[in-house]
Amino acid sequence: MLFPTVEFALFFVVALAVAWELYRFPEWHKRFLLVASYVFYGFWNWLYVPLLLVISLIAGWVAQRIERTEDEALRKRWLIRGIAACLAALVYYKYTGFILTTAFGIWGIFGVPPAAPIAIPLLPIGVSFFVFHAISLLMDVYRRKLRGPVHMEDALLYVAFFPQLIAGPILRASSFLPQLRVMRNPETIRVNRGLMLIVAGLFKKVIISNMLATRLVDPVFLVPQSYARWDTLLAVYGYAAQIYCDFSGYTDIAIGCALLLGYRFPRNFNSPYTATDPQDFWKRWHISLSSWLRDYLYIPLGGSRGTPRRTMINLMITMLLGGLWHGAAWTFVIWGGLQGAYLAIHRLWASTKSETIQNLRETEGWTWISRILMFHAVCFGWIFFRAPTFEIAFSILRNLSVAGAATLLTGPVLLVLVLGLAGQYQPRRWRKGIEGELARWPAFARGAALAAAVIGIELLGPSGVAPFIYFQF
Amino acid sequence: MAAVFCGFIAVILVVESRGLQVWAERLEVGPLRTVALRVTSSWRRAMQPLGLESFRETAITDLARVRWSDDAAQTAESETAEAAHPAQTPLQPVLPQPPAADLKAPLVASVPRSTRLPAINAPTPGRPRVIALTGDSMMTVGLSAVLLRETANRQDLHVVKAYRSGTGLARPEVFDWMRQYPAMLASEHPDIVIVALGANDGQGFVENGEVLAFGTDKWIEVYRRRLASFLELISAGGAQVIWIGLPPMKMENYNRRMEEINRIVYTVVNGHPKATWWNPAPYIGDEMGAFREFLTTSDGRTLRIRASDGIHISDEGASLLIPVLLHWLDQQTPSPVTPTNRAAAAVITPSALNARRGISR
Repeated sequence: MLFPTVEFALFFVVALAVAWELYRFPEWHKRFLLVASYVFYGFWNWLYVPLLLVISLIAGWVAQRIERTEDEALRKRWLIRGIAACLAALVYYKYTGFILTTAFGIWGIFGVPPAAPIAIPLLPIGVSFFVFHAISLLMDVYRRKLRGPVHMEDALLYVAFFPQLIAGPILRASSFLPQLRVMRNPETIRVNRGLMLIVAGLFKKVIISNMLATRLVDPVFLVPQSYARWDTLLAVYGYAAQIYCDFSGYTDIAIGCALLLGYRFPRNFNSPYTATDPQDFWKRWHISLSSWLRDYLYIPLGGSRGTPRRTMINLMITMLLGGLWHGAAWTFVIWGGLQGAYLAIHRLWASTKSETIQNLRETEGWTWISRILMFHAVCFGWIFFRAPTFEIAFSILRNLSVAGAATLLTGPVLLVLVLGLAGQYQPRRWRKGIEGELARWPAFARGAALAAAVIGIELLGPSGVAPFIYFQF
Repeated sequence: MAAVFCGFIAVILVVESRGLQVWAERLEVGPLRTVALRVTSSWRRAMQPLGLESFRETAITDLARVRWSDDAAQTAESETAEAAHPAQTPLQPVLPQPPAADLKAPLVASVPRSTRLPAINAPTPGRPRVIALTGDSMMTVGLSAVLLRETANRQDLHVVKAYRSGTGLARPEVFDWMRQYPAMLASEHPDIVIVALGANDGQGFVENGEVLAFGTDKWIEVYRRRLASFLELISAGGAQVIWIGLPPMKMENYNRRMEEINRIVYTVVNGHPKATWWNPAPYIGDEMGAFREFLTTSDGRTLRIRASDGIHISDEGASLLIPVLLHWLDQQTPSPVTPTNRAAAAVITPSALNARRGISR
């Protein structure tokens, strides 16, 4: 079920109404949300509901084993078994084709590989996200970050909770499960904030992301050789705005829906293109994933506790695997490698002791130069992220030097491109101001305004609903 | 919260009564659609005296006027909106009617595995050959991308994009090809139309208020009629039509439906003087023409020729088909195509193509 559809609107309106009615009965409230989450997932394809259930059951059952065991060695064994089971499912469903193609490619260097038929499974939607949730549950229980026993019902709901189920944000078990243990109080729910997030998310996705995709980015990445410098450059900037608006739009809607249901999700984006260095960027972009990778991969690998060389290696491993998490293709691996290289180079740069450089870093001018450099480094990475093949990625890079006019630049395209990029510099007080203003309106008028916003967005967006980019991950 | 709800729902119900009905029309045919359509139609009738529908129609028309959208579908929607006020709008185009004979031929038991492309019409001197790519996501994914890349620098070919994902001939209320195709072509007059369509048509539909289940005699009869009309439309002006059949699919149930669509399409296309049905299975299927996902080249490369959904053709898969079409396009056969000489023109065979690309089976 896609968020910006009538089906989801109807589903959510019913789910919200029933959930609010059930606040007084917490156990039934949770059970209802669990059933609603499975209906939400099954709406795409019922065939994969058992997979979601099995992963959740394994995570819940193993978490209970870890929790009830005091023997550290045994706890670790359970943890490894649980993670191995979850990762096995992820590898099987997401990476079988990639592994086999690569293996056969290497085989092909030495001789002709067998032409035996290879059967690979269909990719279940959201598998990367729910497997990461399952691992987070196991890790948080192992690290004793959860207080109180893990109930199977809570574990099932944590992994499958529908607002975050298919494209995040990636919740921590230690932040979500405690929310299931307290009685919800409808009076404390920030309804205005939730509504604003939903409208903002729809605006970003339906208008900015979809329009940039259909009218600028897709044509150039489909046939790069048909476009010259300015169209190509605009398409690269356009993709930066598109992917931000697409993914942050999705998480805005997810956070808004969760908020209306009474649950708090972590912030997933914080104006990422205002970042001044790679470390800053990863504290602002897909925050729930980067912190997941930091806590469950980078730190267990040794983090920055070893030698500088070891730290670089840890960074590179983390970002390469982060790249591979996004997609089973070498273009994603290169994208991850670039991010790792940016982080490593920045570490070296940051450790420079020269007084001149340190003074330079403190100037406002340098902040802006850093922002611009960082934005372009990110855009360079996005070329490999978006291009389906290296051939197309290099064709895009080549075309940046080919003279020619901008044929795809129209008023609406320029407007949404500027909104998508410059919108990140909007002062936070604007949002708070609108929220404060809405609070003064009668509740009925707020609902009417929400409806008017939704109708306006639907009219302004391109027809048809393109899937969110992160659905494929 | 309840008051917010009420405000939201009240505005949506009053202002979007038409949108809700359109949504209900587009649901999969079944009891839910029947109920939803009944409720939303009644509601829309009740709301019509308020005259609020015109607000939406005016907005769509104004947006099209300022070129907010370059989407032919939205432009056509604005035309539909204008058509709601007959006094202000031109007459609807008269849609071509299929010749009766096309609809009488018995359905073939199975499509031929080996098909040939016809002799190609000679190009018009002094202008590039205009090729329209049309269809659903079977054209959008893979085929169009590779063909557009391969022809990007050719001055003798001009490719027109007239495809749209999530469409078909089964549900004109979702996307009406008879209306949209001319809008997508705009002022172009294709010499050749390459079609890949039908992947979304394995479903029931409603015809004159009657629900027709997929594959029933009545369903087939109506679908054939729509196919024949569509063929008349796209071949109007003398365009030669190459209809690429649906490739074998991964999921068995779905594949059975697509085989049924192929049989129907083949029967109708085969009876049309300007159209040829072309089977992609020998190029991207296995030895038996069944689904396969990977293919190994003789130089040791393993290609993933189908998309991860087991339905669409990947770029690498399309790279097996497009050279055949390009080779065919490069022919300069002067004689026009007739049913008698259609089978005579030889093109690259799957084995020749595979030998050329170094593919071993």
